[in-house]
Amino acid sequence: MAEMDAVHDAHDEHPTTTIREYLLIGLALSVITAIELVMSLYDDALGAILIPGLLIFSAIKFIIVVAMFMHLKFDSIRFTQIFTFGFVLAAALLTAVVVLFAFDASDAIGGGFIGDPIEHHD
Amino acid sequence: MSAATHETEHHTSLGLDNRKLLMWIFLASECLFFGSLLSTYLIFKGESLSGPGTDIFAFEITSISTFVLLMSSLSMVLAVYGAQHGQLGLMKLMLLCTILLGLVFLGFQVYEFKTFASEGLTLSTNQFGASFFVLTGFHGCHVGGGVIYLGSLLIASVRRNGIGKETPLYIDIGGLYWHFVDIVWIVLFTVVYLIPAY
Amino acid sequence: MATATDGVGAVQTEQSKVWEWLTTVDHKKIGAMYGITGFTYFLISGLTALAIRTQLAVPNGNVLSAELYNQFFTMHALMMIFLAIMPMGASFFNFFIPLQIGARDVAFPRLNALSYWVFLSGSLILFSSFFLGGAPDAGWFAYAPLTDSQYSVGPGLDFYCVGLIILGLSSLMASLNFAVTILNMRAPGMTMMRLPVYMWMTLVVSFLLILSLPIVTVALVLLYFDRNFTTNFFTPETGGDPILWQHLFWLFGHPEVYVLILPSMGIVSEVIPVFSRKPLFGYSAIVFAGASIGVLGFGVWAHHMFTTGLGTVPTLVFTATTMGIGVPTGVKIFNWLSTMYGGSIRFTTSMYFAVAFIAMFTIGGISGVMHASPAVDSQHQDTYFVVAHIHYVLFGGAIMGIFSGIFYWWPKMTGRFLSETIGKWSFWVMFAGMNLTFFPMHFLGVSGMPRRIYTYDEGFGWDDWNMVATIGSYLIGVGVLIFLVNVFRTMRQPATAPDNPWDGPTLEWATSSPPPEHDFDVIPEVHSSIPLWTNREMGIATPEAPEGLHIHLPPPSYMPLILAIGIGLLGVGLLSHLALVGIGVAIAIYGIWGWAIEPTD
Repeated sequence: MAEMDAVHDAHDEHPTTTIREYLLIGLALSVITAIELVMSLYDDALGAILIPGLLIFSAIKFIIVVAMFMHLKFDSIRFTQIFTFGFVLAAALLTAVVVLFAFDASDAIGGGFIGDPIEHHD
Repeated sequence: MSAATHETEHHTSLGLDNRKLLMWIFLASECLFFGSLLSTYLIFKGESLSGPGTDIFAFEITSISTFVLLMSSLSMVLAVYGAQHGQLGLMKLMLLCTILLGLVFLGFQVYEFKTFASEGLTLSTNQFGASFFVLTGFHGCHVGGGVIYLGSLLIASVRRNGIGKETPLYIDIGGLYWHFVDIVWIVLFTVVYLIPAY
Repeated sequence: MATATDGVGAVQTEQSKVWEWLTTVDHKKIGAMYGITGFTYFLISGLTALAIRTQLAVPNGNVLSAELYNQFFTMHALMMIFLAIMPMGASFFNFFIPLQIGARDVAFPRLNALSYWVFLSGSLILFSSFFLGGAPDAGWFAYAPLTDSQYSVGPGLDFYCVGLIILGLSSLMASLNFAVTILNMRAPGMTMMRLPVYMWMTLVVSFLLILSLPIVTVALVLLYFDRNFTTNFFTPETGGDPILWQHLFWLFGHPEVYVLILPSMGIVSEVIPVFSRKPLFGYSAIVFAGASIGVLGFGVWAHHMFTTGLGTVPTLVFTATTMGIGVPTGVKIFNWLSTMYGGSIRFTTSMYFAVAFIAMFTIGGISGVMHASPAVDSQHQDTYFVVAHIHYVLFGGAIMGIFSGIFYWWPKMTGRFLSETIGKWSFWVMFAGMNLTFFPMHFLGVSGMPRRIYTYDEGFGWDDWNMVATIGSYLIGVGVLIFLVNVFRTMRQPATAPDNPWDGPTLEWATSSPPPEHDFDVIPEVHSSIPLWTNREMGIATPEAPEGLHIHLPPPSYMPLILAIGIGLLGVGLLSHLALVGIGVAIAIYGIWGWAIEPTD
């Protein structure tokens, strides 16, 4: 599980991203942001695909910045593993909490896990 | 800075620099911090009993500050590029740009907070106000901390001896922090501003 | 013989001894400071426990008023968890991580010192609440809306928020340091699957803290805002939700209990093989069990909330995960027992505590699995049954594991042996006391005695068991006193312990007792998870240190102390005058700047 590598510069292992490439990435991020803005201005027309669409575009921007600007794509896999673990845990736990608040015992017919405490004799 | 990294080319078990590893683990931790604040915001979405809601947003203006922060990430990565290729002039210029763009972002945020306050939305107004200001406020604090961090790097780099032979590493690590603050905003901007209230 | 220089002058005067400790970045000294501070708080918290038990010894007791009682049981838990068990754990982590992985210090020595001084700051802030308007008194879990400023009027809960945030900062810094150290500074040949089990547990604990502390930090910030800035996160009247506090708190709180127990499980995993003269049975299984307890520990938090109306499906999910997490623990217990089976057992005091750990933790685990069933939990919740469970796993488990480590590692840390005879006396007295105190609480719980009541009336049938429990608690006190006698007598002796008195297999036993400042003259080759035993079998000798070997150590620094003072003042300012916040920030900035520019060679 541990590599006994000598310290090396990870940047030696791939052709460095050029300034031009970085600028193009910046442009792509701006374009995506503009698309998101336009989408939210036409929210009625988009209906049900608005939210998934916005989330997908944000995810794309997120991944681009993390992979290219933060260099995860070209650096050691350990960094990716560590960050992904934290991010996935955060997303999972906090989705769980939000869902737990969206649906709790007061929504369930019959009183949730305790069940209807009052016996009805009809 | 540490016994292990004192000698150059010192052997480490994973072949990674201790300080860079530290920053990445710290950023994983920060995911939990912002995730908790974000989930608090989402839990209270639509639950305010009175007071303004998300209709108070002027997200066209916030889009500008979002764009500014995105561009600051671009200038940051160019600063790292400059440091890694020995182009210290480029590095310093891009660090300065990043700092200035970060300050512009903060300026927009201060303006937004003040506008909202004058329109009747404060911490104590309702659940939306409380969760919104705490979430975006702490993000703003992180941007502010980043500005100070990058500012220190810039000041150190213009001193006679500069930052030293590990300059690329230090700028890289500073960049990681800055980009993280940006990706948090990417998520916040979409979830808080763009996704409409239900 | 190797020498170490640290860039400071050679002559040691009495005055500079203090300065030496204030500016040290040596993990062994920092470990010692954590240990002494932690054990002191353990004793103080023990006194609060004795006060509580004295109050509850008879019905309608009048030893403590209700108000004081609430502060005492709240602070008993807070002090035991944050000021005793965690720091004592940190003490061993600090001392032994570099030694067990064959490094010469942690990755960030100054950050290490900082985490101790910040811990001290935070602990003093929290403890001082007793004398500055009243300690927090709403339970260590501080459920809303009781904790809001309209119901908890005094400053106690503000001390709670600020104190715990600062303590959390300290733990976070330490955990980051330990994680980087263990991942990145292992000796050549020490792959991850050759790490001592104690190191694996430390790594899991570090990640548990790194990932759970931010959540409770948010909770504490939100509570502080509710109390001081008129937000309403947790108060229902204006749309807030007290259950949010519970979720955020337990999302941290549950991983926290694994933080409390895993180090002791690691210690027991070290001690049992040594005193069974047999390698640990099922190394990989124990490692994977420990790691999965860490991961699964994030999926069970709402079992603390079974009676809050979560809903049928969520309740079932958390029941399943909670019962599931008992499995890896069971794996460990069977592996420890299998290690002992067929071994050649030496019953040292350390081994007594380790074996007692297995038994006591199993009892605590069984009561835990019982209230993993929500149906049963609806009867157990908020009764003394839970108090019994908690103390079996935390005293019978965590504390006994710590004592096992103390007796095991004392010669390595101090060069002296704690007396085995006195040690065994202290063990039996503590063991008897512990069971006498906490076993009856199972009965009290199922006969309906609620938690956190400052007194009870006659006629409920609780009188006798309460009296028994109180007697037991005094017995624990006697046992701890006997231990203290042991310590004081031992420290008067000369430091003559050999390198490896117990014939342990891990690297800390390959250097002198106590180790030199630079830890190792030469780091042995590592070919297994039990390097010293393997090397002996394979005839691999560790070479002598070359003549004139010069090992450079990081110089001492007072910047960690400065920064910690700044952070402390910041905290004090949040509790009193905002001007202090400004001063604290200024001092902190000076500390950070000094840190950044001071030379490290």
